[in-house]
Amino acid sequence: MMLNNIQSTIDRRARIIATFKEELIRRLNLPYTPEDLHEDISLLGSGLGLDSLDALEIVLCIESCFKIRIPDENVAILRSINTVVDHVLEQQAQKGVA
Amino acid sequence: MRSSLLKRQLAAAGAVFRERHGAEVAAHVAGRASEYAAVRDAVGLTDFSFLHRFRVPAEQGLDFLDVLVAGNVPKIRFGRVLHTFLANRDGLLLGDCYVANNDEEFIFLCESIASDAELRGLLQTAGAREAGIEDLTDSHALISLDGVKAWDVVKEIFGADVLGLPYLSIEVYPYQGASVRLIRAGKTSEFGYLMLAPQSVAPALFDVLQTAVASRGGRLCGVDVHDDLRLEGRFFNIQAEGLRVRDPLVLGLQWMMDLEKEKFNGRDAIHQRRTEGLRRKIVGVAAEPGSEALVTGARIFHDRQPVGEVVADCQSFVLNRRLALAVFPVELAYSGLSFRVGSAEGPRVNTISMPPIMPKSLTVKLDEM
Repeated sequence: MMLNNIQSTIDRRARIIATFKEELIRRLNLPYTPEDLHEDISLLGSGLGLDSLDALEIVLCIESCFKIRIPDENVAILRSINTVVDHVLEQQAQKGVA
Repeated sequence: MRSSLLKRQLAAAGAVFRERHGAEVAAHVAGRASEYAAVRDAVGLTDFSFLHRFRVPAEQGLDFLDVLVAGNVPKIRFGRVLHTFLANRDGLLLGDCYVANNDEEFIFLCESIASDAELRGLLQTAGAREAGIEDLTDSHALISLDGVKAWDVVKEIFGADVLGLPYLSIEVYPYQGASVRLIRAGKTSEFGYLMLAPQSVAPALFDVLQTAVASRGGRLCGVDVHDDLRLEGRFFNIQAEGLRVRDPLVLGLQWMMDLEKEKFNGRDAIHQRRTEGLRRKIVGVAAEPGSEALVTGARIFHDRQPVGEVVADCQSFVLNRRLALAVFPVELAYSGLSFRVGSAEGPRVNTISMPPIMPKSLTVKLDEM
């Protein structure tokens, strides 16, 4: 399949997803492989069903993995793996990270 | 065809009925936009009696339930609810299920896309009789209350105690001499409660709920608007993408399974496909405002090649555009990409991160009420 013009977008996103999923599984001891975690899965409440302590761990995980800050009012960012990745990409773009 | 215990009230309110997998449902009562606004801005009341509902004695029926559904039933703590699925022998979806641990009983709710006969056959084969299963489908109504003000309605009827119920939990409340099982759940992104009410009080409770809902600016809703609400909140909908795709792995439902469980319906087929690796995956898609082309069944194109197919769609009244879920090859299943829909020259659509809306309920703190 010809992916030409979108391959770089995919690669950049795939790298962040892979890093985040591996760290999430390791830190929270989740019984899944990275492939088992759909990127739209809800992190809190339904889906993975993580609690507020887990949410804190996720924030620490994101901040240490990607060297970015997560604001205190972070409900919108932590809704799914994809929303976390969007925030990381946005922050990296602002910092000029390729 | 099964009819609801609440049909008289629904008909009196002007509901339009249709059939859904062997059950008669109130499809809509008012316009879609009006019912949608009721849930997002106030509270919507919906008859969910099309779901199958069973009582399973805890001690006698634990093993039966555990080999039936994909999730781990013995791990459900007292008072909590497991969201899981029911599959057939081929590992294809048959039902979206809640299993509630209510002390000496489990309450098993199943939103099924199988016929009544197929579902009953499957339950019998799994040992329903020996497990002492009691079918509550004809003797109880299931009422859904959803919306940013849903908590206020259940508080008025059952007391302030309900505010302490966490998401996916069950509690029993007395109502006019009967017991109503209240489950905090919901698939709209707003506050959601399911009430399992016996025939003796269900119509009266439904009347009281209608009054309480109307006084808060809400209204009676049909089941169709829940398709939109589920998609916007990225809750799995067995009536939409579930019915069209049926493979729980492609749908990203691994979180509803216990991957270490040695036995459940469809386990071997699902594990076989998991071992072979995922080839397709479901992704959110959004159209440009005003574009109507993003409809279920439409093909999605990249570089003049068909690469995906829309499997669920809705009009998002919050985002003012059409939203969809589409199945793509895994190498293209990422948000942030641009495609064409309908044909190689069709309107542009973008894959998006889900859920794309921020519900009002996420800003309400029940513990401060």
